[in-house]
Amino acid sequence: MKPAPFDYLVPSTIEEACAQLAEAGGGATLLAGGQTLMPLLALRMSQPFILIDINRIKALKGATRVDGGTRIGPMMRQNEVIADPTLARELPVLVTAAQHVGHHQTRNRGTIGGSIALGEPAAELPATAVALGASVEVRSTRGSRRIAATDLYLGPYATALEPEEMITAIHFPDWPDDSISLFREVAQRPGDFALVGLTGAVTVKDGCIARAGIAWFGMGPTPIRARQVEAALLGQPIADLDLAGLAELAVADTAPFDDLHATAEYRRTVGRRIFARTLGERLNRNGP
Amino acid sequence: MNAPHTQTEGYIGRRMARTEDTRLLTGKGVYVDDVGLPGMLQVAFHRSPIARGRIKTIDLSAAREIPGVYAVLIASDLARYKVDMLSFFLALPTVPVPVLAVDRVTYVGDPIAMVVAQDRYIAEDAAGLIVIEYEEQDPVVTLADAKHGSLVHPRTDSNVAAATGSDEVDEDLEALLAHAPHLVSIDLTHQRIAQSPMEPRGVVAAPQGSGELTVYLSCQGPQLAARWFAQAFGMPATSIRVISKDVGGSFGLKGQPWREEVAVVLAAQLLKRPLKWIEDRLENLTSANQAREQEIRLRVAFDNDGTLLASHADYGINNGAYPQGADSNIAVMMFLWAAHKLPVFGFHARGWYTNTVGLAAYRGPWALESLAREVLLDRAARKLGIDAIELRRRSLITRADQPCTTPMGLQLEDISPAECLDELLRHVDVAAFRVEQAEARKQGRYLGLGVATYIEPTAGSTGIAVLISESAHIRIEPTGKVSAVVSTHSQGHGTQTTMAQVIAERLGVLFEDVTVHEDDSSRGGYGSGAYGSRQAVAGGGACIRAADLLVDKIKLMAAHLLNAKPEEIFLRDSVIHVFGEKEQTVSLRDLADIAYGEPDRLPEGMDAGLEVQYRYRPPPITMTSAAHACIVEVDGDTGFVKIRRWVTSEDCGVMINPAVVEGQIAGGLAQAIGCVLMEEISYDPRGNPTAVTYKDYLLPSISDVPDFEYHHGASAPSKAEGGFRGVGEGGCIIGPPTLVNAIADALSPFGDIPLQLPLTPHKLLEVIEGRSMARPAPTQPKASTPADAPSEKPMSVAEAVVHEPSSALTPVPVVETAGIDGLWKFILSTPMGPQAFTGKLATSGNVVSGSFYFNMDEASFTGTINGNNLKWDLKVTKPMSITLKYDVQIQGDKLVGKVKMGIFGTAKLSGERV
Repeated sequence: MKPAPFDYLVPSTIEEACAQLAEAGGGATLLAGGQTLMPLLALRMSQPFILIDINRIKALKGATRVDGGTRIGPMMRQNEVIADPTLARELPVLVTAAQHVGHHQTRNRGTIGGSIALGEPAAELPATAVALGASVEVRSTRGSRRIAATDLYLGPYATALEPEEMITAIHFPDWPDDSISLFREVAQRPGDFALVGLTGAVTVKDGCIARAGIAWFGMGPTPIRARQVEAALLGQPIADLDLAGLAELAVADTAPFDDLHATAEYRRTVGRRIFARTLGERLNRNGP
Repeated sequence: MNAPHTQTEGYIGRRMARTEDTRLLTGKGVYVDDVGLPGMLQVAFHRSPIARGRIKTIDLSAAREIPGVYAVLIASDLARYKVDMLSFFLALPTVPVPVLAVDRVTYVGDPIAMVVAQDRYIAEDAAGLIVIEYEEQDPVVTLADAKHGSLVHPRTDSNVAAATGSDEVDEDLEALLAHAPHLVSIDLTHQRIAQSPMEPRGVVAAPQGSGELTVYLSCQGPQLAARWFAQAFGMPATSIRVISKDVGGSFGLKGQPWREEVAVVLAAQLLKRPLKWIEDRLENLTSANQAREQEIRLRVAFDNDGTLLASHADYGINNGAYPQGADSNIAVMMFLWAAHKLPVFGFHARGWYTNTVGLAAYRGPWALESLAREVLLDRAARKLGIDAIELRRRSLITRADQPCTTPMGLQLEDISPAECLDELLRHVDVAAFRVEQAEARKQGRYLGLGVATYIEPTAGSTGIAVLISESAHIRIEPTGKVSAVVSTHSQGHGTQTTMAQVIAERLGVLFEDVTVHEDDSSRGGYGSGAYGSRQAVAGGGACIRAADLLVDKIKLMAAHLLNAKPEEIFLRDSVIHVFGEKEQTVSLRDLADIAYGEPDRLPEGMDAGLEVQYRYRPPPITMTSAAHACIVEVDGDTGFVKIRRWVTSEDCGVMINPAVVEGQIAGGLAQAIGCVLMEEISYDPRGNPTAVTYKDYLLPSISDVPDFEYHHGASAPSKAEGGFRGVGEGGCIIGPPTLVNAIADALSPFGDIPLQLPLTPHKLLEVIEGRSMARPAPTQPKASTPADAPSEKPMSVAEAVVHEPSSALTPVPVVETAGIDGLWKFILSTPMGPQAFTGKLATSGNVVSGSFYFNMDEASFTGTINGNNLKWDLKVTKPMSITLKYDVQIQGDKLVGKVKMGIFGTAKLSGERV
């Protein structure tokens, strides 16, 4: 378990990193927190020719408020996300999701951008980005573009990012202050990837659901946005929700698979249960 | 006057902080990977990517071209060294184990080539460039494959690696089972387990001068490892020195050196350079030997009142391709009903070869006996309508029932599972729990209570030559400080603390003044180290006896110097006192100064110095007993198990250090929780391991293991020196049934739970939902368990019962028998490996007589000749009283036959002329 040989570059600016990516022509991998990449290198499952370490690029750090939302630097550590007062106020479900990523020690190094760029289908942060309607800002020597989180994920560890592109920011739109977070993860041990996970938020206006952003993790080849149930929830009076019927709709968009630890049918069954349980509990607690 | 012999009281039994912890917790431990030697090179292995096949070609050229590569070796390079890969018992395996694969590969991970390079990075680069062509063959992966598939090893006549109990059906036992008022049967499977020590295997081998060798090894005892190397290599033991300072866990895996360690030692000799190999986690999970993977069908007949009438067990264990000692796990049968009033028990146990990594020990290797028995008793309780605790009380052997002998021939004197159960129930209010459980069920919450009892043989000193005695060498140095070299060995056991507690108390010295060494085979005497829960009993006993001898000498010496009587002398806190009108004292240091520096002042004829060596053999078996209870809640929505409470009650005799005792119990229980809920090494049908990292091989973490409650109230001193009992493996044995029973109780409203470990959330939710959640696969893979495979041939039902039936034999043609007179070399394939011995036969008419010679011991017999068939009986007393019935055919100039070994089944015998 020792990595294959690679060249190691340490750019100090985004421009420098983009130039190095371009020059590598697809042969480079970015090193962010390294909590997934380093084990993959050690197992020789990943054998890049060049490793570009972006830990020293100051412009990739920190969270700021921007018009209509929050802009998060991809090199923000997961523990920094958890401790950030702005994020706690603006994006509480993101903070909750971050608390479920790995363990305290791994969160000291692991970054929000690294997790979102990796596209592990059972991970918390990509699904939360999808649920809340986030988008990523990406750069290369050819310029920059925005990709909606819902368009970012193509399959397990496969994203719409080009080999020469890097994420320079993650934009989360504002959600009203009284939004209700939905988060539930079923994992075999704390810190494991989810067998089944649910993340997102709803807002309630005049006793009815006014906005819903809900996504699953561990329920398919990518984070899965639960579009059917989002649509069904809109305008529904919360006093009179058919939780069982909604739970059925909630898993309608999922495509879970069998693996060593659980079958697809287990995931669907538990998905329905945790959807109904979470929505019921959260609306009762926070409802008008 | 009875002067107290123990003068510094209070170390034995005290909850002392461990001496070694500061060093270990601050990163100052010395593990194998901390060893660096001048000129040392690193090793990486190239391993088979297929489970079974013939090696067609090996191309090492690309690997050899990498700069920094020193050598690339395959089996033929090491062939100049003759190596016998011995079992833990130092027996030769029936199927020889190659150090590196020769001509064929037998499991994924089978080592074929080793790269020696200046660092591990380069070694792995080169190992990746070795090109091997295979002719791939269909592998034998599961127990079911082994029974019906092709032969794993050529030149064997079946895939049976080891056998205990006969294939013949015992009609009497079957009749008892068939006609009993109640017959309860379970089919249980235990998954394969990776021992998962925090420190994987590792070795540094350094040739020294002419033919000497120093080996730094992560192992369970440097003395046994040195003995193993010496015997396996045919080298004098004195030329091999094994050093093993700190070891980060073993749990059975490092019981003896194995293929990779041996390859590194040989390569170091070949290349005349120090070599290091540190197993990485990928190798540890895919290529290190593993454990468990067992199946059992247990049947028990009950009377209407719950009395046990008869039982039969049919058992199989996957031995992999190259087990560290082929095993049908006789101890499972020995202890299944050892603590219960059961008149008749028969069994059939087989170990099977497969194309998977070999079988090694794992903490409580026979633990399945407790799991099967305790789970079955709970099922029976539900079926018979008798409370599960009450059902146990009706059959458990109590202290009042002893001494007694079990149907298996085990002599019991002081087991106490019933008394541990009584003590347990003083701390668990079962009635209150049943009320809480009923209330919770109304809210759709599923609480369950599980109880189990067990006994465990610890510190065995009979029948197994490598495990008889332990040595302690205690020196009071000229400085007055105490050095002890003990044949114990810690892989986290804390023996540097516990042995020092024993010595300090018995010598009457300050604990801080005692240093315990156990890390170097060149110091002290032979001892096995950490095996079979023996260190407190055997090592502690050795320390007591050695300390007592030293105290005797100190008393004589001090009495002489202080003009007092020896019985007036006592030691306290490293100071020698004299009872009497005016108390006199002298420090141990001053006495030691005289003992070493001025021996003329000692009593007439007394030797200089203050040092003693003692070798202690404990009683044949020291029994530990326990009862545990566990309360769980199973989440009805997800099938997840939450352990709410776990209460333990054990009789481990006199405790040296309660914190160490409780640490041992807790560690075993953590592993039990892993076994029941999450750990699993699995293979796909091509023999590829599917859990190769800790992302997929799930060990319990701190959040999965509750705080345990410990109760020692049922303890009584053992007959061993010091009254200690072993406690190393118990948690791993009694934990699984306790937890399985709690889960079964929680889900009893839904019916029986499946008995295929691990009980994952998926399996438990299926019980709750009452439906399968399996993939709707068109072709269901063939199941490997007897429960799921009704179409298989019925599990053969054995006769191997206590009441020995006679077997009929057909007459055979008469041949000339006088030709067999003379000396013969025999090989008997016993459950503990093949045993070789010589014998002399003489014939006269239809009478054969003879003698066998085992290791300077002789046994004589007389029997009958019928044609070319010879029969005789031989009574032996070790390891237990048993009559061996020989039934031998003359085949040309060879003798072949079988030996019926009472309840232990039949072993093959072959003989050749000397």
